[in-house]
Amino acid sequence: MAKGLDIDHLAKLARLNLTAEEKVLYSNQLTHVLTYFETLAKADLPAVSDVAMVVSEKALRSDEPGVSLGSDAVTKIAPASHDGQISVPRVVDDES
Amino acid sequence: MSNEWEIVIGLEVHVQLHTRSKVFASSSWGFGKEPNEQVDPVVLGLPGTLPVVNREAVEKAILFGLVVDAEIPEQCAWDRKNYFYPDNPKNYQLTQKDFPVTMGGKVEIELPGAARNIMGEHKWIRLHHAHLEEDVGKLSHSGSGSLVDYNRAGVPLLEIVTEPDLRSSAEASAFLNALVAKLTQAGVADCDMEKGQLRCDANVSVRRMGDTQLGTRTETKNLNSISGVRDCIIYESKRQIAQIEAGHKITQETRGWNAEMSRGYVLRDKEDAHDYRYFPDPDIPTLKISRETVNRLKKHVPEAPFDRQRRYIEKLNLPYTAAAVLIADKALADWFEAAVAAHPTNAAGIANWAANDLLRELSAQSGTEVGSDETPAVKVSLDSCLIKPAQLAGLVKLTDEGVISKQQAKEVFTEMFSTGKDALAIVEAKGLRQNSDTAELEKIVAEVIADPAVAKSIAEYRAGNEKAINALKGPIMKRTQGKANPVMIDQLLRKLLG
Repeated sequence: MAKGLDIDHLAKLARLNLTAEEKVLYSNQLTHVLTYFETLAKADLPAVSDVAMVVSEKALRSDEPGVSLGSDAVTKIAPASHDGQISVPRVVDDES
Repeated sequence: MSNEWEIVIGLEVHVQLHTRSKVFASSSWGFGKEPNEQVDPVVLGLPGTLPVVNREAVEKAILFGLVVDAEIPEQCAWDRKNYFYPDNPKNYQLTQKDFPVTMGGKVEIELPGAARNIMGEHKWIRLHHAHLEEDVGKLSHSGSGSLVDYNRAGVPLLEIVTEPDLRSSAEASAFLNALVAKLTQAGVADCDMEKGQLRCDANVSVRRMGDTQLGTRTETKNLNSISGVRDCIIYESKRQIAQIEAGHKITQETRGWNAEMSRGYVLRDKEDAHDYRYFPDPDIPTLKISRETVNRLKKHVPEAPFDRQRRYIEKLNLPYTAAAVLIADKALADWFEAAVAAHPTNAAGIANWAANDLLRELSAQSGTEVGSDETPAVKVSLDSCLIKPAQLAGLVKLTDEGVISKQQAKEVFTEMFSTGKDALAIVEAKGLRQNSDTAELEKIVAEVIADPAVAKSIAEYRAGNEKAINALKGPIMKRTQGKANPVMIDQLLRKLLG
């Protein structure tokens, strides 16, 4: 397993309940992904600056309001809704 | 509170920037819209969408940096803060972790004085940085479920992080008031706390006086009023001191605040929340901030409120109270200065009208309470004010020249406020011009002195009772129908009574 991969912790952060089988399956898959990146990181590459990823202010957008979807369209793509709002399981951080 | 303890506070202030569209999406935003009406595919992070940064939001953030003397780095960049919570449809919040838009900076604060008319101590609070991020959606809870409104998601949010420089709840309140004044006066943000445009997290720790190491801190999230921040700091510091004095250790934890009950509580849900697995957002390139932009924005930095206050007190000889009221509202202070330009010899007189009578009438008109805790910046609109600065200057000039008395000026002011007429026109129309014809007035004064009814007062005055002279002024005013110049009456009485 790749260094630092803790499937229980990741599952908790992602709010997923995984079975024992799933834990093994996903651990292996994630380890493959991480190993791939470790291989990439080891590659001996010339020092390339990140300049291609830097843009000037020309790349910014002017502050012009555009079109909104409307609540009907938004709630239609949600699993559940109520009065224009999206319904989710209760997530309140109650005073305890 | 025991004097053995020092409270150490750092604040994270989240401010919605004054823009028309969202920070990475073009959807409009504003308070009081129907749920999910201001949402577009970029806000929802739907597949195939790309965020594009709003220039106005970046420039407002830079302007803030200039207002607080912060460094504006050559580049800023955005990161993904990953977490799974329904207030964010993308499962990550776009924020700036390593390359924020402003670094450092400082804010001058003024603590309450010993009395309302005495200026309190001034102090500088250092800022660590400010970063530009997106606000998250709003959750409401009912029964077994929660409801999500994404109108607020993607609203440009500037998170201003202080150094742990604050030492009391009073300093925290003073800081927030000073910050709000700077943000609103520069047009960076409106800071309407009732609309949630300014929210605060408070990091609080305590240590024994003289200790140099910081104690373990707790973070109380989502305080949405200045009084909430103040109450939370008092509560949390007392709680921590009691814990330590009872032999317990402080747990580093995230806490919530129940404003109704005035008490804090542990947010168990946030226990693992620090593990946000930040990484650079691949959709938004690093932004190079040109020095031309920085220099252009520098021209929009208004005079700092406390610099203005010092100038009013030192150069214009205003009393502290009037200066403090005027500088709290840039529009009012600008208005006042325009009036002073029209009558430069009595700035204090003009300030007295502007800070008291004018402000009182304006707030009565708009129905806002002046200087309440939640609206530290006096919120009145001068747009609908019928009196123009030069007209108030005209009123003060008439009083200074003795054309009308101070009492009459009040009457003239009321009429000016409701009609917008010039002071002089009102004085002439009402026949209020004070009688300054010395010969005529001297005759009346002589007649009043000769009246046996006032003989007793005259005797008392001559015997050394200065105040007895006032008893003669009433009958003179009555005979001149209030038009006599009080200063001249006083002079004539003293002359004739020898």
